[in-house]
Amino acid sequence: MTAPVIEVDDVWVRLRGRTILEAVSLAIHSGEFYAIIGPNGGGKTTLLRVILGLLAPCRGEVRIGGSTDPAMRKDLGYVPQFRSFDFDYPITVREMVLSGRLGRIARRPRRYGAEDRARTEEALDTMGIADLADRQIRNLSGGEQQRAIIARALVGDPKALLLDEPTVYVDAPTETQFYEILDGLRDRMAIILVTHDIGVLPGHVTRVACLNRRLYTHDTDEITPDMIEAAYRCPVDLIAHGVPHRVLPEHSREE
Amino acid sequence: MLDVLGFEFFRNALIAGVLASIACGIIGTYVVVRRMVSVSGGISHAAFGGIGLGYFLGIDPLLGAAGFTVAAALGVGTLQLRARQQMDTLIGAVWAAGMAIGILFVYLTPGFAPDLFSYLFGNILLVPRGDILLMGILTAVIVAVVAVLYRELQAVTFDPDYAAVMNLPVERLSLLLLVLIALTVVMLIRVVGIILVIALLTLPAAISRLYTARVWTMMLLAVVLGIIFTVAGIALSYVIDVPSGATIVLVSTLAYAGALGAERLREGRGSESAAAASVRR
Repeated sequence: MTAPVIEVDDVWVRLRGRTILEAVSLAIHSGEFYAIIGPNGGGKTTLLRVILGLLAPCRGEVRIGGSTDPAMRKDLGYVPQFRSFDFDYPITVREMVLSGRLGRIARRPRRYGAEDRARTEEALDTMGIADLADRQIRNLSGGEQQRAIIARALVGDPKALLLDEPTVYVDAPTETQFYEILDGLRDRMAIILVTHDIGVLPGHVTRVACLNRRLYTHDTDEITPDMIEAAYRCPVDLIAHGVPHRVLPEHSREE
Repeated sequence: MLDVLGFEFFRNALIAGVLASIACGIIGTYVVVRRMVSVSGGISHAAFGGIGLGYFLGIDPLLGAAGFTVAAALGVGTLQLRARQQMDTLIGAVWAAGMAIGILFVYLTPGFAPDLFSYLFGNILLVPRGDILLMGILTAVIVAVVAVLYRELQAVTFDPDYAAVMNLPVERLSLLLLVLIALTVVMLIRVVGIILVIALLTLPAAISRLYTARVWTMMLLAVVLGIIFTVAGIALSYVIDVPSGATIVLVSTLAYAGALGAERLREGRGSESAAAASVRR
């Protein structure tokens, strides 16, 4: 059997005396659409940062393609939480997408070649923003900016695409469109999506896990009430976020 | 007025102004887009420590300043990357400590410190030929480094997290950028002085940002603006006989205020016509 694209093995993270992640293990194979849900503050972004090698766990390890070499991160595409960087930066959409190729360039100093430019046009086309390529990113709508960020992640030919709350600033019709695009990418790469909003999970998800310090998994595409309960109910203060109140009855009714 | 060009000191002043403007436009662009204005302020004031040390050791004060600013840049950068200290507090400490060290060294140096005032407030009309050569070399180094590492520096200043995921040496590139800022500051000390450095480093780039969509076009326009401001400042200070450094800074500030005002007017008119359009609909 081939190694999973991403393997998280017994990862613990403690920050400022608080345990953020506790004994988290998961394996993501190619072709999977893995959704991780959980309340705000449940460690979702932290888990992504550990996978991306931006944060070292205090215990456990992350393997990408079976290896712990940080150079393997070239196989990861990352769509950070919206507004996590400066949209006023003087950069055009094409330049930003092109910059996603830097991880693939072996020569030093890095120079873009014909292949890099061709892949950039391809990614712009895939995301339907080719006509916006010469605009500065601050002159795009929220949905267009989000697509530009995904194009940057796609252009590096990732084996796994990690998305952090990708729909927070996107309106509902754009959101539907957005999940259709993701579904179209699934035959090329594994997709890992984290979100606090269970209501938005698209039908194409192949696996769901709940994260609230610990990871509660169930090897199906269903969210079971006990997973939700385990993830959202345990720490009392997190119930105050309101998400379980809205979601749990909804899912109970479905069943 | 033109016959003044016959004097070597005046030609030197113009050359120094142009060289400083090139360095400022390029490095100032990164300072503005990466929001490193206060870091640059801290580094430039730390330079006074180096000036004082230069006097104390009897070496060229600018050489002392170069060593001091580079050390301050590396120190601040490392602390920021490693210790995740509160950056504004850290900058305040470096800022004040640098000045304090400078004052102590100047006090401890026997005798009188000549042209101390010109290091604080600049005197471009007194730039000696040797300094022009040094400025030329520094400008060439800055242009070359940025030309070679343009893509990497863009990635690191735009989205450092993503740059790290792409295995770019984010830490080394960030420190390199801080060192380039330190070297630019040293060049600017001759032109506008330690206290006014921050204005010339940031104002041309800040104006340029209003009209450009790419880093390299922003740099180009900032260089051109810098040259206009320094030359206009030098000419004006000569004509009305006032200090050149302060005049250059005031010319730049007025231009920045004017650009912001024009931008406000343009945006105001834009939203008015948009409002009118929506009313018609």
